[in-house]
Amino acid sequence: MNEAHPPAPAHHGTARRLLLGPGWIRAAWMFALFALIGMGLVLGLRAIAGWHPVFDNSIVVLVSLLVTGPVGFLAGIGCFDYWVYYALGFPTRPEDHSGHGARTWKDYFRVNTDHKVIGVQYLTTTMVFFLIGGLLAILVRAELARPGIQFFDTQTYNGLFSVHASLMIFLFIIPAFAGLANFVVPLMLGAGDMAFPRLNALSFWLLPIAGIMMVASFLVPGGAFACGWTGYVPLCSTHQPLGAVFFNQAVQWAGASSIMTALNFLVTIITMRAPGMTFWRLPLLVWANFTTSLLVVIATPFIAGSQFFSMFDHVMHTAFFQTAQGGYPLGYQHIFWFYSHPAVYIMMLPGFGIMSEVISTFSRKPIFGYRLMALSLMAIVVLGFSVWAHHMFVSGMASWLRVPMMITTLLIAVPTGIKIFSWLATMWEGKLHFNTPMLFALGFLSMFVIGGLSGVMLGAVPVDIHMNQTYFVVAHIHYVLFGGSVFTIFAGIYYWFPKMTGKMYDEKLGKLHFWLTFVGFNLTFFPMHILGTEGMPRRVADYAPKFADLNMFISLASFGLGASTLVFLYNMITSWRSGEIAPSNPWHAMTLEWQVSSPPPIFNFDEIPQVVGSPYGYGIPGAKHAILAPSKEGQEVGVT
Amino acid sequence: MRKGQILAVLGIAVVAGGIATAVAVVPTWLPVQASREAGRIDFTIWFTIVISIVIFAVVAAVMIYSIYRFRAPQADDWSEGPPVHGSTGLEIVWTVIPLLIVTSIAIVSAIVLSRNGSAGNNPLQVDVTAVQYSWSFTYPDAHGLTSSVLRLPKDRSVVLTISTKDVIHSFWVPEFGQKQDAVPGLHTHVHITPDRLGSYPVICVELCGLGHSVMRSTAIVMTPAAFDKWIKQQTAAITSPSASASGAAVFTNNGCGACHTLVAAKATGKIGPDLDKLKAYAQQAGQPLDQFISESITDPNKYIQPGYPKSVMPGTFGASLSKAQLDALVQYLIDSAKG
Repeated sequence: MNEAHPPAPAHHGTARRLLLGPGWIRAAWMFALFALIGMGLVLGLRAIAGWHPVFDNSIVVLVSLLVTGPVGFLAGIGCFDYWVYYALGFPTRPEDHSGHGARTWKDYFRVNTDHKVIGVQYLTTTMVFFLIGGLLAILVRAELARPGIQFFDTQTYNGLFSVHASLMIFLFIIPAFAGLANFVVPLMLGAGDMAFPRLNALSFWLLPIAGIMMVASFLVPGGAFACGWTGYVPLCSTHQPLGAVFFNQAVQWAGASSIMTALNFLVTIITMRAPGMTFWRLPLLVWANFTTSLLVVIATPFIAGSQFFSMFDHVMHTAFFQTAQGGYPLGYQHIFWFYSHPAVYIMMLPGFGIMSEVISTFSRKPIFGYRLMALSLMAIVVLGFSVWAHHMFVSGMASWLRVPMMITTLLIAVPTGIKIFSWLATMWEGKLHFNTPMLFALGFLSMFVIGGLSGVMLGAVPVDIHMNQTYFVVAHIHYVLFGGSVFTIFAGIYYWFPKMTGKMYDEKLGKLHFWLTFVGFNLTFFPMHILGTEGMPRRVADYAPKFADLNMFISLASFGLGASTLVFLYNMITSWRSGEIAPSNPWHAMTLEWQVSSPPPIFNFDEIPQVVGSPYGYGIPGAKHAILAPSKEGQEVGVT
Repeated sequence: MRKGQILAVLGIAVVAGGIATAVAVVPTWLPVQASREAGRIDFTIWFTIVISIVIFAVVAAVMIYSIYRFRAPQADDWSEGPPVHGSTGLEIVWTVIPLLIVTSIAIVSAIVLSRNGSAGNNPLQVDVTAVQYSWSFTYPDAHGLTSSVLRLPKDRSVVLTISTKDVIHSFWVPEFGQKQDAVPGLHTHVHITPDRLGSYPVICVELCGLGHSVMRSTAIVMTPAAFDKWIKQQTAAITSPSASASGAAVFTNNGCGACHTLVAAKATGKIGPDLDKLKAYAQQAGQPLDQFISESITDPNKYIQPGYPKSVMPGTFGASLSKAQLDALVQYLIDSAKG
């Protein structure tokens, strides 16, 4: 029997196992049970305390459906099994690792401790939310195509763009990077898995809860949260229907997922590097996820705090932000932006890491200025915590704070610029291959520069005074988040597709996807700069007639951009099912993940690799990043 | 880098920069400047745009040159390029130059910010009140005269003190450049020196609820003589003993014209029903006219005129108007409604 592939666990198939064993059926009834327990707790406490009406809609729904119910779901699907058995002193399930890894498609729909499975779970789930968020954007653009109100009442419309942004930020960009990193980082480190595989599985399963909660807010009486993803109080605390609480709580679940994953990455990167892999021999993707994880663990608790305060004001009538009782609305903004500014770096730094891998590999050259590249990631982390109030230049905060915040905001352009110039220098005199990942990298370089420059403009306080809350900001956001982050996510998905699936994607379709996206993206978002400077505010369902032509143009372009995603989906699905078999190293790259099969063996490496050099040793004959034992799997099957 | 390469890159940069400049110059990017502050803000905007065009042109040129010149000879030729790991000199250059550039932006901005914030001696004081979903402007130096339209004299320094009764709003006139949020519990300030006659939109630019996109008013810059005349006329109307005349003042004071049309008040708002048609509306609703008008003011959601949105008219007038003010307003509307 091949030791690398332990036998699959025997399925008893009895009704008892289906009902009581970890899985979807148990998750369903445990969700209901825990929701009822939560409801009982609230009603009981309110009855005892004599608070009337005992059945207060908002607190009951919050506690039962949004807090205890999801805990039941997580318990039912099996996230806590091992820990509960261990804590209660029962014999834990035998650790033969038979549950680890994926042999059939069903393994992707259960709690799985294999980082490669979790990575794919993350990517497919986030892709679903990308599509939903994108659809919401298309609906927004349909309404904005002509002046006047055509399709949606204002409550629904305001909900469309609010949920669009929340999904894209919390359920797509942040976790998609986490998913790619989940798959790739342990392999790049020469490790068998992440430091905490069960925590890793729990981190994933928190995500669908958060996403469903955000989408479900549309179904709640009163409609979805309609105050923008920024949730400014008091509009979003005491002037919103119940849907706002769905947002407050969904952010908590997504935030918990993010923090757990970041913790996992930090411990893995610090303690599980293969022998010989010093920090200065780490691939830049690992550096990027290391620095991002620092941002996540430090900053995310702040958004949790801001959402708790807002939610408590709404549901429990506290007065954190109620001025009549001494509350301070600007306090929300400071706490919120203290996370949400580092959040944009959380949404970009992993992308920078992907860019370093892709550009270096497809230029056949070492990354230019490796150490300064790593140090500028650290500089962005440190500086990133000092700029938050540039979102508040016209907020009415202490006016003296604007100039220091402007200075730090402008300064952060320097390490970012260093990275752009270093990537250009990496390409210079290389041997460039324009496969799809590289096309998206080139698209990123140009689009992110535009977005970065509009960001520098906004960093200048007088400019921001004019541009704040206009479509200029919407343009800036999308140039850095779509032209920036999303392009790098596509680059990463195409780059590691062969490694994750064992198949090659269709290169012609990939190129088509790139060009449709690149053109559609620019036609959609560039004109928004002009709309903004000319005076069109953001988050509006209607606008002055002089903006009509540009809005119609943008809406039509956006439909084309939306359609380009279909090419991507078609390519991914058909290639995964019946694409050309992928070799272990189709891109002739040097990092460790490419030195094992595609897909990798279930436990990654038969023996721990010995790292002897830089991961970017291109151009030096015989340069090696690591020495690996020959694969036992390969030997047994007779493949050399 | 050889000389030929530098020349080629520079050439492409000039072309790319030219295209970017055309994009910056040909479309109309900015509204007409109607205040001194807008003039300084626009200068800062152009300063940063020029810098941006230069940087973009350099990046684009290096990329385009690389794509053409350094393409791998064949798609399946994976041979490696030269083992260039870095160049400290180059790294110093592209750290120091951006540092100098952003420093210059900071200095220009700080100077503009300081000049735009100094109101000088004896500015005109106007209090701006934002509510869901209308603006009202009070002139404390004119017996508390309140208007739904912001009238300002040309070439005089104005300080707006902004407040709100409900959620965060934001006051902006694109042609004036200056913008400031209205925050519950705070009085925020913004300084404007209008220097061009004309009529400009006042826009709310912080999402404030369902009526956010229609929360608009107008800023009218008048000659100082016309402004003084207007102040005198309005003050006389406020202090008039005639109910109809003081009802007219209540109408203007509370921003009704922002959403409603009423020829007698020169109001042209299109968001809510046309008040000239009040008699017809009352008949449609089957109510006596004075009761219909009174209820429509104090409890707007009770009867919604078909074709108009619910929950946009503030429901606070029942509380904020005294009985005398409400009666005067109802009388004024009965007298003024044309149809």
